[in-house]
Amino acid sequence: MPGKLKKSVGLLLSVVLLLSLITACSSKNNKPAESASSPQASNSPSAETSESPSSEPAGIDTSKKVELQFYMLGNAPKDLAKVEAEINKMALEDLNATVKFNFTTWTDWDQKYKLLLSTGQKVDLIFTAEWTQYQQYAKKKAFLPLDDLLPKAAPVLNQFVPQDMWEAVKIDGKIYTVPATYKEYVTGGFVWREDLRQKYDLPKPVDMATFEAYLEGIKKNEPNLQPVAIGADVAAALSDAHLDIARDIVGPMPYGVFAPYSNPSQMTNYWGSAEHLEDLKLYRSWAEKGYISKNELNVKDTNQDKIVNGTAAALLGDNPTRYNQTLNNMKSLHPDWELGYHPYGLTKGYATPVHPIHNGFAIPAHSDNAERALAFYEKMVTDKRYNHLTQYGFEGVNYEVDNGYYKLIGNADTNGFLRENMQGWAWRNPEFMLFEPSYDGVKAIFDELDKIQKPDIYTGFAEDYTEYQAERAALEQVEKQYLFPLLAGQVADVEKGLATFMDKAKQAGLEKVQQGYTKQWLAYLQESGIQ
Amino acid sequence: MKTKRKGLWHELYANRILFLMLLPVLVYFLINNYAPMIGIYYAFVQFEFNTSMFNMNFVGLKNFEFLWKSGKLIELTVNTIGYNLAFIVLGNVLSISVAVLLSELKGKWFKKITQSVLFLPYFVSFVILSVIVFNLFNYEQGVLNTVLERLGAEPLDVYNKPALWIFFIIFFYLWKNFGYSMVIYLAAITGISEEYYEAARIDGANTFQRAWHITVPMLKSTFVILLLFSLGTIMKGQFDLFYQMVGNNGLLYSTTDILDTYVYRSLKVTFDMGMATAAGVYQSLFGFALIMVVNGIIRKVNKDYALF
Repeated sequence: MPGKLKKSVGLLLSVVLLLSLITACSSKNNKPAESASSPQASNSPSAETSESPSSEPAGIDTSKKVELQFYMLGNAPKDLAKVEAEINKMALEDLNATVKFNFTTWTDWDQKYKLLLSTGQKVDLIFTAEWTQYQQYAKKKAFLPLDDLLPKAAPVLNQFVPQDMWEAVKIDGKIYTVPATYKEYVTGGFVWREDLRQKYDLPKPVDMATFEAYLEGIKKNEPNLQPVAIGADVAAALSDAHLDIARDIVGPMPYGVFAPYSNPSQMTNYWGSAEHLEDLKLYRSWAEKGYISKNELNVKDTNQDKIVNGTAAALLGDNPTRYNQTLNNMKSLHPDWELGYHPYGLTKGYATPVHPIHNGFAIPAHSDNAERALAFYEKMVTDKRYNHLTQYGFEGVNYEVDNGYYKLIGNADTNGFLRENMQGWAWRNPEFMLFEPSYDGVKAIFDELDKIQKPDIYTGFAEDYTEYQAERAALEQVEKQYLFPLLAGQVADVEKGLATFMDKAKQAGLEKVQQGYTKQWLAYLQESGIQ
Repeated sequence: MKTKRKGLWHELYANRILFLMLLPVLVYFLINNYAPMIGIYYAFVQFEFNTSMFNMNFVGLKNFEFLWKSGKLIELTVNTIGYNLAFIVLGNVLSISVAVLLSELKGKWFKKITQSVLFLPYFVSFVILSVIVFNLFNYEQGVLNTVLERLGAEPLDVYNKPALWIFFIIFFYLWKNFGYSMVIYLAAITGISEEYYEAARIDGANTFQRAWHITVPMLKSTFVILLLFSLGTIMKGQFDLFYQMVGNNGLLYSTTDILDTYVYRSLKVTFDMGMATAAGVYQSLFGFALIMVVNGIIRKVNKDYALF
């Protein structure tokens, strides 16, 4: 009996060890270099070659049936399968192709995006934006140049997108993405609780001074409410926003270089300068006075959520569309609360409409079905049936058109396809777009900004960091460790903290990075004829 | 040489059934563990999108540069090894002692319940753990500071005290993981023959003496195997644990930054296949050297316990 027991225990032990071995192995498989095996796209030359090249095969060969792999960021809508089936019915007839809509979810989307492009996986269409590093990827030739393909595979689309937009998305003289044509503003603006502002008779935030006065008033009257939510990404939510409203920086420039919008070729070093010190002292004072949380760097919920559930009373910067979303979400929970908005543009005297690079779709260099992919994308943008289905779902089931406005049927929980639920920002077509009534407020803001619009001269710039990528990676590190705590106001001695940061940054190769960047930036300005 | 070759074939033929049984495992390792090693070459080239690996520019050790450019490589290596040593040593001490204690317990229900309660944290994800920790320690609304304030004490800004986090990280690691290895030890203890204990009891050994002189020595081989397994991964920190608990908070990096988190952060923005692979190669080589050394030492001491 004891012998038998011992044996079975030994067996159990070895099973446990084997299991841990296997899990160790499988977790290793997540390593990028090893996940090269790609799901096979079923582009086998299936027998059913449609006899009559149906409808308008725009000068491309559609005799072979293909399945296109379409990749979008974010989460898939609940009713995606139904929409996909309907789209496939039409696409099979029009282009002898089917499409698989894939979504990355928002968790680690940036890692997934990079892997999709660098492991040679079969991807035919993928979302691009400046915040997914379109410029760098295009520069490194991760996408297919579309110049020759467009007139052939998507002549309608080629005409539909204005020539200046095609020009604007060009990297090294070639088109790598199909830009969205819907004109909007994604520039920043102050967001605050208007009901509280009125209740305590606080100034309306229009610049940093009035914003601070508002924060002070909130702290005094509502001591348990956090005056402003910044979140863990202090560089973007605090520093970039502040440089935008107070110092008119041309765009969120990296590596502490600074160029004003009015004179973009006049480059200075912001990091380590007197202005930098002044700003850091301001942030420190915010932390000391309790305007921001002492643990801002570890906060997990989004800033917008904090407004909605009433734990914070302002945002330093947000764009008009998202402000509107926050407003609606807040109203649904707290109908008596009000949210105010002041776009930076009105204070600065100019606002830049969204750059065409901001939303686009590209064809990765690895794609086998480039022509068909482009032809299909043309349908998504210019064919109302495709467009409405992928933006709003089924009419009568998911939405209805009421007085020219979009109206959701049911609510967010019961409806399987919300407005723009596929994150279809890139294939928006201004001629087909449907808006909710609440969007009128955003349109009003846009109209105001239209009057003071000036072109975005920053986003078209494509940095190539190959030369200094080791220094860049090291610098990124130093920034997180020594600059972020300063931004969050967590370092008591700001001057000393800044000196340490500059010291470490220089060790990591700050000067080489800045020089490389500055050189490219100036060359870009000259090339594109800006001053 | 000829005879040796003949010997091999003979060996293969004589034990053909056994070798046939070995084949699937060999194939598994060949496909999953050895073939992908070709990818190591990425560490030495300038990555490009539109060409195959062997056509890319060879750049030597340039991809490794970023590891020491920030001057943190030594600190990171020390942190990584230090934490892992603490995990391994404390984890084993804790799980062995609790396993011995549990095995001595007589009440069946109490024993089972304790065992389950200790095992449960293993299923809590680090994301959830990080939220729990944030709610415990955050300055404005955290449980700790609320209690401190009620007691009339000064609130404590835990997220600004790097030294404290050495303790927290180790504590939460143990809290989450020791139940798992404890079950393995418990299984090993059940396998120890009752006769030893009976003999000891007749000789008048008390409970403590029985545990110390019988149970603990009998666990030695299990301990050595578990130790060697964990040493192999010593350079791979518990990424989730560190990443979730510390996140963006640079204030804590001096004591909580390990290789994995460093590499992740560096490459989150600059994504380069070459640099990512370089970091992986560094970790693997270091881990390999470490396990060779430790295994060598164990071999010297007692050949039977060595892995190979």
